[in-house]
Amino acid sequence: MRAVVVDNQVAPLAPEGALLEVQGMQKNFGAHQVLQGVNLQARKAEVICILGPNGCGKSTFLRCLNLLEPYQAGRVLLKGRVVSEGKPHGHQPSREEQAQARALRRHIGMVFQRFNLFPHLSVLKNVMLGPVKVLGLTQGEAHAVAEKMLRKVGLWEKHPCDPLTLSGGQQQRVAIARSLAMNPDVMLFDEATSALDPVMTKEVFKVVRELAAEGMTMLLVTHDMDFAHDLPDRVVFMDQGVIAAQGTPEYIFDQRPLPVIQQFLSRK
Amino acid sequence: MALLSGWWVAALALSVGVLFWFSDRMWPDAWLPRLEIPALLRASRVTLFLTAVSMPIAVALGLFLAVCRRSQYALFSWPTALYIEAIRGTPLLVQLFVIFYSLPQLGLYFETDLLTLDGMTVAVICLSGNYAAYEAEIHRAGLQAVESGQREAALSLGLSERQSFFSVVLPQAFRIILPPVLNDAIAMLKDCSLVTTITVSELLNVAEGIGRTRINRSQVLLAAAAIYLLMSMTFLLFGKWVEKRLAFSGKPKLNVENLKH
Repeated sequence: MRAVVVDNQVAPLAPEGALLEVQGMQKNFGAHQVLQGVNLQARKAEVICILGPNGCGKSTFLRCLNLLEPYQAGRVLLKGRVVSEGKPHGHQPSREEQAQARALRRHIGMVFQRFNLFPHLSVLKNVMLGPVKVLGLTQGEAHAVAEKMLRKVGLWEKHPCDPLTLSGGQQQRVAIARSLAMNPDVMLFDEATSALDPVMTKEVFKVVRELAAEGMTMLLVTHDMDFAHDLPDRVVFMDQGVIAAQGTPEYIFDQRPLPVIQQFLSRK
Repeated sequence: MALLSGWWVAALALSVGVLFWFSDRMWPDAWLPRLEIPALLRASRVTLFLTAVSMPIAVALGLFLAVCRRSQYALFSWPTALYIEAIRGTPLLVQLFVIFYSLPQLGLYFETDLLTLDGMTVAVICLSGNYAAYEAEIHRAGLQAVESGQREAALSLGLSERQSFFSVVLPQAFRIILPPVLNDAIAMLKDCSLVTTITVSELLNVAEGIGRTRINRSQVLLAAAAIYLLMSMTFLLFGKWVEKRLAFSGKPKLNVENLKH
């Protein structure tokens, strides 16, 4: 395995009072270290794109952040409070820890590559499920929230439809609305456009841009270089389970501070 | 009623017609009054009742077994696996005999008559307990067939494991398992004829009884078969209807709300 080269020239802009802070996150599958101490801070309203070669741990990082996968060491802070901590393999979460995980997921929304809309519920019910089941809103209140979010992604007229009748781009926008309905502090996008054609990708990114303009804090794993060049405040480049370099898009794309970044970008 | 038209009715009419036409050839005298159709229909109510009671129990119990089987705790998963394999590996008839004839003997030994159950109770216990083992495997397949992303999406919204199971995974699994479960319901309908052996008088038993005293025994049995067929067909049509209702449709649902836009 080649040694990891880390670019130390531009230190990550460690912001005062970061909204989201990840400290030394480590994850392994047996002997295979997937994340080897990831440190990341995100300010409020910051948009961060995470790039990196396949298998570098980008997706795993997001899934660990949302506790869809357990991680073994490190911790995550949201608004300065510890919301999750690494646990050894085989650890059985206590009731309290499960409640804590649910609370964390409520504040950190996630959008998946495969949309994962619930096919047995209408578009409207998809968006209402979280507010009703988790936030305890009444049907009426949840309906109002869902309507607002679906209008925001421009799909209110589709609300009575079954999700599978929508195009991929529309499904992903509904998934974004579903996540937004929980009023999260941070949104994670796990290759949200990788399953979409360019036109649909554009319509999804249009929604993401609007969210960015409204001040939503977002972490996006993406393979769309144009997007990663345009929108984010910061680009994070991951390699072999660590953050190898980070900085403004200009810094990463124009200066290409590491050989591995040069290689990565020239392949694209 | 649109569903009733078409191939199913045609197939039913044809099969019943052919059977009776041939039997008419063999016994040309007026046989219809002697078929005792009303008595047979009365008896078929027992068959229907047994299925209607046992099948829902089997499905519910099967779900419980499937969940236990998938449990990470050996305390739950092992006994369940054992139960499923033991039940699936022995004939229903043997199970009926064991519960109906052998348990009371055990009761005799312990000087209690709590283990002496009447035929109907044993029938429900055995049918539901037996089919539960099969339903458990169907449930297991159904639950596995729901994409893991569905559970993850529900969890990522903050739903608990239980909420995501009941609101997201199970409703989808239900649609997957419906055809095989209905298939089993039809199988159970016919397996009900086995409870004749433990003194419960159902359709086949009554048909036998009538036929035994008459010359038109075959015809009475054929009439019973026709009634079985009719009941199965009804189940089948019902299943088709439910399946159609629950399918993830490819069309937007039309309602008043839709028309506003």
